[in-house]
Amino acid sequence: MVLHGLVFAETQSNPLEKETIMKRRLLLILSILLAFTLVAAACGDDDTDAGSGDDSDDADGGSDDAITAAFIYIGEPGDAGWTWAHDQGRQAAEAATGATTLTVENIPETGPDFEQAARDVIAEGADVIFATSFGYMDAMESLAGEFPDVAFEHATGFKSNDTNFGNYFGRIYQARYLTGLVAGEASASGNIGYVAAFPIPEVIRGINAFTLGVRAANPDATVSVNWTSTWFDPAVEGDASQALLDSGADVIAMHQDSTAAGERAEAAGARWVSYNSDMSAFAPEAYLTSAVWDWGPYYTSVIEDVAAGNYSGGASWDGIETGLVGLGSFAADVSDDVKAQIDDLSAQMAAGDFDPFTGPINDQDGNEIIAAGEVPPDFAAEGLSLLGMSVFVEGVIGSAAG
Amino acid sequence: MSHPAVELDGIWKRFPGVIANAGASLTVRPGTVHAVLGGNGAGKTTLMNCLAGVYLPDEGTVRIDGEEVRFSSPADALSAGIGMVHQEFRLVPVFTVAENVVLGAAPSVLDMAEINQKVAALADRFGFEAEPTRPIWQLSMGERQRVEILKALWRDAKVLILDEPTAVLTPQEAVELGSVLRQMVSEGRSVIFISHKLDEVTSFCDEATVLRDGKTVASSVAIADVDAGQLAELMVGSVSVQQVAPRDATPGDVVLAVDNLTVVDSRGITAVDDISLSVHSGEIVGIAGVAGNGQRQLTDTIAGLDVAQAGTVTISGTDVTALTTRHRVDAGLAYVPEDRLGVGLAPKLPITHNAVMRGYRTMRRGPMLSWDRARAYATGLIEKFDVKIGRMEAPMASLSGGNLQRLLLGRELSDDPRVLVASQPTRGLDVAGVAAIQNLLLEQRDAGAGVLMVSEDLDELLALADRIVVMSEGRIAGEFDPKQVSRTEIGEAMMGAQ
Amino acid sequence: MAFAIGLIFALIIGALLLSISGDPVFDTYQRMWDRSFGTADTLSATFNRAVPLALAGLAVSVAATMGLWNIGAEGQILFGATAATLVGRIGADWPGPVLIVAMLLGAAVGGALWSFGPGLARAEIGVSEIITTLMLNEVALRLIRYLQNGAWKDPEGFGFPQVEARPDQAQLGQIWERAHLGVIIALVVIAAFAWFLNRSVWGYELKIAGSSPKTATYAGISMRRKTLGVMLLSGAIAGFAGGIELTGTASRLSENISNGFGFAGIIVAALALMRPSGVALVAVAFSAVQVGGLSIQTLGVSPAVSAILQALILFGAIGAAVLSTYQIRLVDRKVAA
Repeated sequence: MVLHGLVFAETQSNPLEKETIMKRRLLLILSILLAFTLVAAACGDDDTDAGSGDDSDDADGGSDDAITAAFIYIGEPGDAGWTWAHDQGRQAAEAATGATTLTVENIPETGPDFEQAARDVIAEGADVIFATSFGYMDAMESLAGEFPDVAFEHATGFKSNDTNFGNYFGRIYQARYLTGLVAGEASASGNIGYVAAFPIPEVIRGINAFTLGVRAANPDATVSVNWTSTWFDPAVEGDASQALLDSGADVIAMHQDSTAAGERAEAAGARWVSYNSDMSAFAPEAYLTSAVWDWGPYYTSVIEDVAAGNYSGGASWDGIETGLVGLGSFAADVSDDVKAQIDDLSAQMAAGDFDPFTGPINDQDGNEIIAAGEVPPDFAAEGLSLLGMSVFVEGVIGSAAG
Repeated sequence: MSHPAVELDGIWKRFPGVIANAGASLTVRPGTVHAVLGGNGAGKTTLMNCLAGVYLPDEGTVRIDGEEVRFSSPADALSAGIGMVHQEFRLVPVFTVAENVVLGAAPSVLDMAEINQKVAALADRFGFEAEPTRPIWQLSMGERQRVEILKALWRDAKVLILDEPTAVLTPQEAVELGSVLRQMVSEGRSVIFISHKLDEVTSFCDEATVLRDGKTVASSVAIADVDAGQLAELMVGSVSVQQVAPRDATPGDVVLAVDNLTVVDSRGITAVDDISLSVHSGEIVGIAGVAGNGQRQLTDTIAGLDVAQAGTVTISGTDVTALTTRHRVDAGLAYVPEDRLGVGLAPKLPITHNAVMRGYRTMRRGPMLSWDRARAYATGLIEKFDVKIGRMEAPMASLSGGNLQRLLLGRELSDDPRVLVASQPTRGLDVAGVAAIQNLLLEQRDAGAGVLMVSEDLDELLALADRIVVMSEGRIAGEFDPKQVSRTEIGEAMMGAQ
Repeated sequence: MAFAIGLIFALIIGALLLSISGDPVFDTYQRMWDRSFGTADTLSATFNRAVPLALAGLAVSVAATMGLWNIGAEGQILFGATAATLVGRIGADWPGPVLIVAMLLGAAVGGALWSFGPGLARAEIGVSEIITTLMLNEVALRLIRYLQNGAWKDPEGFGFPQVEARPDQAQLGQIWERAHLGVIIALVVIAAFAWFLNRSVWGYELKIAGSSPKTATYAGISMRRKTLGVMLLSGAIAGFAGGIELTGTASRLSENISNGFGFAGIIVAALALMRPSGVALVAVAFSAVQVGGLSIQTLGVSPAVSAILQALILFGAIGAAVLSTYQIRLVDRKVAA
């Protein structure tokens, strides 16, 4: 390839060593392939502008007058999705607070890379670290003990202390419920598909809230769940949506970061409810609406707390009242009735007057799991809670065990 | 004045420990079938590989149609009109005949219907029957060989090299091959026919060149002028052997018995066909024959490297047919294989590792090997058998052929085996090396071992052996007393003239 | 020597890449150095990461001495860690040192179990170990996924799919800065294997078998037993690495506990030219490249550029190391027509 006109001749050309030479060549080829996969692993995830770091200028500053906030992501921001939404929040907070921000991307859950990345940003003077994937939790906990002067903010987990380690997430189920209303109205067949990520409470809660919304608009509709065991894998997620579409679903909802479900729905002439960020640009015909995050205000307030010395860990689970969760744009054919209903329910949820999980609610087998008028607690050591939700409600077709 | 189609001159090719070609030459006239004869290891295949671009010769010139060339790859040779059909076919089993024929030389736009038709026409021209659309895996070995030949013809090879082409053919197919070759030379092409089967050579070929020990010993002999016996003599040689003091044998009990042994090789050919022989203690039994007549499979099966399809091998009264090599060693067998570097030694490993290969099990200390004892043993071996080495840590392959063989033989003799099977023990060695090895064999015989020795050097067998058994096409073609037999008688037996 | 030239060559191309992407060349290299070797703290972290890399490299190179390709070190690490977790669950109230030893042994047995099938299939019926070991990686991954959603699900995980944490006492102690005892253990294991392979009857036979199957058969060495034996050993070493990770750096079994170390081990073994004695050094260098490559993101170097840079450095070294065993010569390609 490179050495045109040259040949590689074995230093010893004894034919008996041919086998060894073959092995050496195999080894060389294999090594090159492996090295390539390293590159491919970096480039494969999502398109990203090379050299996107806009924070390098004062990274070495370490001066105390400005706060340095570090963000550790499981993926790359790309153009849409979970990490994109967090990175939008980072940019908003940076603009609002004047803090310096650092980002480290593509850090796998568990494994030693997270600890390494966290120590790197601490060495760079990070005062607060936002880590946006569940698997970082154990390492966050032990690092919080080792570095009492750094604030550790962990998204989607459940561990915290009352000094420098907090967890945060949002009541996206509220938005999920509202998107369910849109989906229920849009579905003619009453057969709605849901491309689900992993069978964990966060995802199950989202499916349940969505289904409750769907059935509020369309009482006979069902939501069929197809698990992918992925957070971002367009091929797998596309196939999972296709399977749902092939079995008659005319609306597809999803949990992952890719837009594959929307593209498949568009191709099939079906409709699509997206998640994480407004993905209307990726499948404009199929797109109905989306349940979206707006992390900017939260990040701004935490950074301000850290700057003021008021940070004290703990758990944060804000909802629609702060704007942390909400809906993206609507498709042109979403009816004014539904939009009005959404406005009304949003206001009620913000005021605390309405909760999607208000009973009576039955499980898949028709057994009542939430009594009339009751709302499960956020958190409970035993019994049903929002954070520990592990069963599907009536109307969901599929197994909550994955 | 037309140039020779091929002219190889003064070709040298050395491999570590082996000189494969030592100034070999070959001249092939256009429009002839030219036989290249010689025993195994005579350098035929290496010489052909030098012509076909597989190897670059260390020295010497290659001329095609009078112009000097240097091929750095088989593709170079092919584009200069040299095609080679190797012993192992290089075909894709799931592809059709036509697909294999055009593989790598197909037009840029594939029109299989047209290609099928062209391949069929090509085959027809040379009197083949070939169905272009049949997959290779359905074909017999003979039919596959024709596909290989078609491949070369498709590329318009002017010179076709066939490496032992009849080994895989039935007698009928061999006759058909002959007529194909005739058609080719009638078009002005040349064929180089590598063989050691003299009857085929005499019936197919126009001229012959004979190689021995990497050198050309007879060049472009007209087949019409010689008979098979003379060719056989050229192949096995008549150089004077070192005078080994003749000693009378005192044979004792049978130490090695082979009964009705049949061995089928990896190509499915019966290499050893119902052979029975026995070796007594205190005698040397020589196996004569042109290489490739089953000698290697016979000795490998005695040693346990090949599997017998039928028959038994008995060493010192123990039936070892179903036992492993290790148990045969325990029963008293030592084996000097024909392929010293590929079987008998580990060429990349240090000398010490090689020296203890037979005896290392006696040098263990728990799970560990006592390298002190191993080194002492190796040093002793090297001194006793006068092996010239550089460093003990040097790889085995750094030794010369004679020293390799001395170490190998010395190692195998070190525990006074009751049976020694030595295959081509002196091949490729210089005069002094030959004498040393021959003396070791005689000493071993006098010490009471039974020796089975395979050699292509008839003079050597006549000088050393107490009995000579001739093998031809996997069978015993005769047994002779070396004191009372003429070379011609043995030569005729080698030819399978029963 | 070739190694150094290759490295310098790679660094120059890397510099070119960094200038094109608009990143500071000197600062980037400086940072990579500082965060991998620069301080005692970072050096100790580099050592920690080198442990699984070295053991995986050892596993690959042990199999390679016989011409076998263990592409399944990743799965063997995973299953080794799974087996160690099982031991941890059984011995949850055993004293720390006893439990750690039991878990590490369990990990080795687990890794050997994971390579037993491929070894047997290769020895008895000649099935390519490359394919079977590779396939079992996925099986090990699925098994952990199953366990974390089912039998071993953390009851304190609020429904999150994670395996229960291993007992606290099964934590390898720190020996120097952040470096844990596993660093010493790995060094001892590697030295012991290098010694064993060079000195033992088994190792001698292995070398003969690796030299040529025919020669081995001739010398009375059973290729079948050697093939199975070396695969078991290779798997055990990789599984042991999983045990070290579980007791050294991780607090619980997870899908990511192998973190690609099993595949990286192939590169480590290649760089060590398949010599068990070389893997420790190469693993430290490899670890430094990975740790250093991670650290430059905070300079604004994108993960993609960082990955290419890491690959370049590995390329440079591999290319040099492997190609230096070849002669490069100019060949006259003239062919007379």
